[in-house]
Amino acid sequence: MASSDADHAVWLRGIEKRFPGVIACAGAELRVRPGTIHALLGENGAGKTTMVNVLAGVYRPDGGEVWVNGQRRFFQSPADAIAAGVGMVYQEFRLVPTLTVAENIVLGSAPRLLRSAEIEERVAELSAAYGMAADPTRPVWQLSMGERQRVEILKALWRNASVLVMDEPTAVLTPGEAAELGAALRAMADDGRSVIYISHKLDQVVAFCDEATVLRQGKTVATVDDLQDVDLTELAELMVGSSEGGYVDRPPDLEAGPEVLSLQGVSALNDRGLPALVDINMTVHSHEIVGIVGVSGNGQKELAEVINGLRRPTQGRVTVKQQDVTDASPGDRYRLGLAYVPEDRLGVGLAPKMSVVDNSIVRSYRLQRRGLMLVMAKCVKFCQGLVERFGVRTGRLNDPIAGLSGGNLQRLLLGRELAEQPAVLVAAQPTRGLDVQGVAAIQSHLVDQRSEGVGVLLISEDLDELLALSDRLLVMYEGRVVSELAPDVTPRSVIGEAMAGQVRA
Amino acid sequence: MIRPVLARRERVWPATQAFAFLVGIAVALVLGLILLWTSGHNPAEVYERMFDSAFMGTDSLSRTLERATPLALTGLSVAVAGSMGLWNIGAEGQMMAGAIVATGVAMMADGLSGPLLIALMIVAGVAGGMVLMLGPALARSHLGVSEIITTLMLVYVAIRVVEWLETGPWKDPESFGFAVIEPVPEQAALPGLFGRANIGMLIALGLLIVFWLAVSRTAWGYELRLAGSSPNTARYAGVSLRRKILTALLLSGGIAGLAGAVQLTGSAARLESGLSNGYGFAGIIVAALALMRPSGVAVVAFVFGAVQVGGQSIQTLGVSSAISDILQAMILFGALVAAVFFNYRIRWTGPAADSSGDEPEEPGEPDEPDEPDEPEEPEPAEDAA
Repeated sequence: MASSDADHAVWLRGIEKRFPGVIACAGAELRVRPGTIHALLGENGAGKTTMVNVLAGVYRPDGGEVWVNGQRRFFQSPADAIAAGVGMVYQEFRLVPTLTVAENIVLGSAPRLLRSAEIEERVAELSAAYGMAADPTRPVWQLSMGERQRVEILKALWRNASVLVMDEPTAVLTPGEAAELGAALRAMADDGRSVIYISHKLDQVVAFCDEATVLRQGKTVATVDDLQDVDLTELAELMVGSSEGGYVDRPPDLEAGPEVLSLQGVSALNDRGLPALVDINMTVHSHEIVGIVGVSGNGQKELAEVINGLRRPTQGRVTVKQQDVTDASPGDRYRLGLAYVPEDRLGVGLAPKMSVVDNSIVRSYRLQRRGLMLVMAKCVKFCQGLVERFGVRTGRLNDPIAGLSGGNLQRLLLGRELAEQPAVLVAAQPTRGLDVQGVAAIQSHLVDQRSEGVGVLLISEDLDELLALSDRLLVMYEGRVVSELAPDVTPRSVIGEAMAGQVRA
Repeated sequence: MIRPVLARRERVWPATQAFAFLVGIAVALVLGLILLWTSGHNPAEVYERMFDSAFMGTDSLSRTLERATPLALTGLSVAVAGSMGLWNIGAEGQMMAGAIVATGVAMMADGLSGPLLIALMIVAGVAGGMVLMLGPALARSHLGVSEIITTLMLVYVAIRVVEWLETGPWKDPESFGFAVIEPVPEQAALPGLFGRANIGMLIALGLLIVFWLAVSRTAWGYELRLAGSSPNTARYAGVSLRRKILTALLLSGGIAGLAGAVQLTGSAARLESGLSNGYGFAGIIVAALALMRPSGVAVVAFVFGAVQVGGQSIQTLGVSSAISDILQAMILFGALVAAVFFNYRIRWTGPAADSSGDEPEEPGEPDEPDEPDEPEEPEPAEDAA
């Protein structure tokens, strides 16, 4: 077949892709014109990642055609796709931390005779051309997330990518870095390259992109030729297929009760031994939701771990219900009334290979005993109770839990944590990656818990969620709480400035 | 270019591993047939002799059970560590250590009555295995040192200690100059059941059942499974990884030591450097084939016992007994390969077949339920508490 339409850099035609038990793509289309930034939109599970993985040679489609720059392609491996000019920048960077920027960039495509000075010079030229500052001689482990992303992009450019795929690129960036990224992507588009931009952040999509394709349940449901003509709510409606927003109503005002969680002068180190938390003082009271705002990587993860006993503070005290728990084990803290929904659901909160029943009793297995023995009937009954009460959709309870969808995993996890009426709930990114129904279900549980007197510490990257749910907002920047704000009266610009470390005195 | 890729099967039969084991036995028999044929033997005659000597008649069966007993115990030893994601490669050495301490007890307390002495020797055996495991266990739990290396190296230490005892301090003065240790007292022989089978077999069977109950039906076993399958979740649940690693490894060493004491009181006349006889190493294969499950350990140990008895019996036909080692290894290889094909299928992909290709997948993906539970390296334990 001859090229039926030359006016595209990428044309994914009628892509079908099935995985065991799941249809990821059911005839989805994606057509990207040269020299444009094209947004690929859709909820989690809509098929975005599968589509770009087909384009990147990671998956072979079960049906459909892949066209790149006017030629039909049959990629057998990512190497084939790279050779055809497709550059992929994944959410999790694939860099070797101990190698330098230049070494990472040429890795896999290095000239036979490696003259580092020459390579570094060419890398420097490339980064200057697109306004992406990166010192080629620095080892990658010293770089910030934003800098690492630049290295990934430069790596694709080094390999002469004419199509650059960016998966959720701004998730790890500060607002300033995100703006820089937008400018760099525009420079590449002006240069005739195409960018496929996957994101949930619609405001950025509108700011950065020219066109958009919206996927829903593995099908293309809309294409937008000019993003300047649409408004945000319209796009959101296209994505979710209805106008429901996903954010629950702001809970009614409640009088805050007694203090249930406090941190007094807490400092802690991160995994690399660098300061992650610096002199944190905060309290959470009964009947309130305290939101932690901040760009990810500013100490939120370590904060949750210190509170729950998974990381030792170097200084300071943690109390739950006025009792010092600084040296208590995670289990003891839970028994005192501290529940925790960790950011890493599968791997920390849940054991992927173990069954639904086994996972539901992680907190309460000691209560399901008679003598030495676990009473299996009690365990199953407990699990069934959680499944019913929290609307978990699951297959057989003895199958490994890894088979559940994200939303159902989170329902079960949250249900398990709430089963014994905690006094405090620490929820880290509780709605990340969930579909609309999942988000709404989790958020309404948080609000219900607040009404019942639980103090909730909500750590989230979703500012809308924090604004909708929180009674107070604490902004974290570089391991410190830099300001406390009232969500309903603070302009977003002020919050943004605080998140970027520009605190007004 | 057309090339094969492995694609995971959407539906995997139940009891895959049992089929894989049968395939492994078939593969071993076919390869063994070729081996016997090319070395000038009559395979039919050899196999018939092996089968008769292992299964036909109570005497044959009792020999198979006698052999299966230490295999079941060492297999269980490896499986206990394996269910925590740890590899005890040194059951061979812990068996020896158990036999050494049991012999020492027998020497000091040879005036005791039979049952009491046997009980004491078995306890001593457990203690001996644990002592040899103590170093590797502590190094693993507190420093993250690989137990695979340390347990293996101590095997040779334990065997050399026996050789030293044989030629030195424990040399039997009435041995006419032979470097042997004096036999264990007569009353310390494990009571027989029938033929050559003794109550060691019941001890092994009992322990398998206890272990199965403990792992699948107790809070302790639940913690063990949690720590083995997802260390971070265990920490989150307040389970001390250090303690769990220590317990699993010490138990594993203790069971291997018990195997040594059972072997000493049940089958061997005296402590000698050949007492462990490769049972500890064979136990690794047993546990791996059994996917660390006690029921599987019992079945595989029985089959391996038969193969070993058969291998012994064919020496009178002029065939080396090494054939039984080869058959055991072939069973493992055959079963491992079969397990891959039960869980995955081959697809030929290329430009022509592109539209129906599946993504290539490495066998042994972590979320594969029926895959042999590849013990994963737990993180070096750092308990916050």
